[in-house]
Amino acid sequence: MAMLEQRRWDLLLVLTAAPHSTDVVTSALRLTQAVLDEGGSARLWACGYSTMLTQTTHGAAKPRNTRAPDVEYPSTVTIARRMLQAGGGRFGWIACTACSAERGATRHIPEVRLRSPMRFRATVDAANTTIFIGGA
Amino acid sequence: MTAHRVLGVIDRAYRGAVEAQFFDAVYGVLDFRAQLGEVALALRGPAVTLAVDEDSYRPVLDLGGVELDTLPDYRTAVRAVVTEGIPVFVDEADLRALGFDPGRLLDGVHCLDPDELAARWSDYDQVWFV
Repeated sequence: MAMLEQRRWDLLLVLTAAPHSTDVVTSALRLTQAVLDEGGSARLWACGYSTMLTQTTHGAAKPRNTRAPDVEYPSTVTIARRMLQAGGGRFGWIACTACSAERGATRHIPEVRLRSPMRFRATVDAANTTIFIGGA
Repeated sequence: MTAHRVLGVIDRAYRGAVEAQFFDAVYGVLDFRAQLGEVALALRGPAVTLAVDEDSYRPVLDLGGVELDTLPDYRTAVRAVVTEGIPVFVDEADLRALGFDPGRLLDGVHCLDPDELAARWSDYDQVWFV
């Protein structure tokens, strides 16, 4: 029987901390970008409130800055999209289905792959390195 | 409408960059002042560093091949607050505990002994922990 070879990824970043709390979201994206810049591949598994980052309800831009109304501030959806597009298949963004459902964060952009926590072990196994950034 | 005198106390400094951008911990103070009449800002704990002057850090990232230059810039935000005439106080003990001399603070920021800072609470109608 022919076996399907599972795709391997250089890095899996598990992000469980909430946005707007500490430096975790920015650090996770910087780490991801650094891996991509080196020619590697990376996946980000968003758990907890980090599932909010890729909701379609953000729109393309953040709300207007009353002090700089003419400046366009890209939403996290736009930033995720840019990274996924530029990554050309070397970057994947996964949203945990359980965390998304628990928080009502179920309107992800279509580029985000939804995955059950029951697939967590398999996702870890498919990565050469896993970094778990906690703080949920 | 009667003006409220509000002292906003900020203890927690860093609350994200990419997801926050202009909406940093200091941003709301400017708009609240317009609504409330009179606002002052007290920085304590790690938040004292928001008022430490330096000019080498550039809050810019390259993500997805696009330069993201709209990240929080706390020192510019504190400068804007000072420029608009909002008093900014810094807890001296917390500043020194982090290894900074009061001379490192942005112009116009007031460095106060913690006891003196606490004694000023009664000057305000409300003290908010932002």
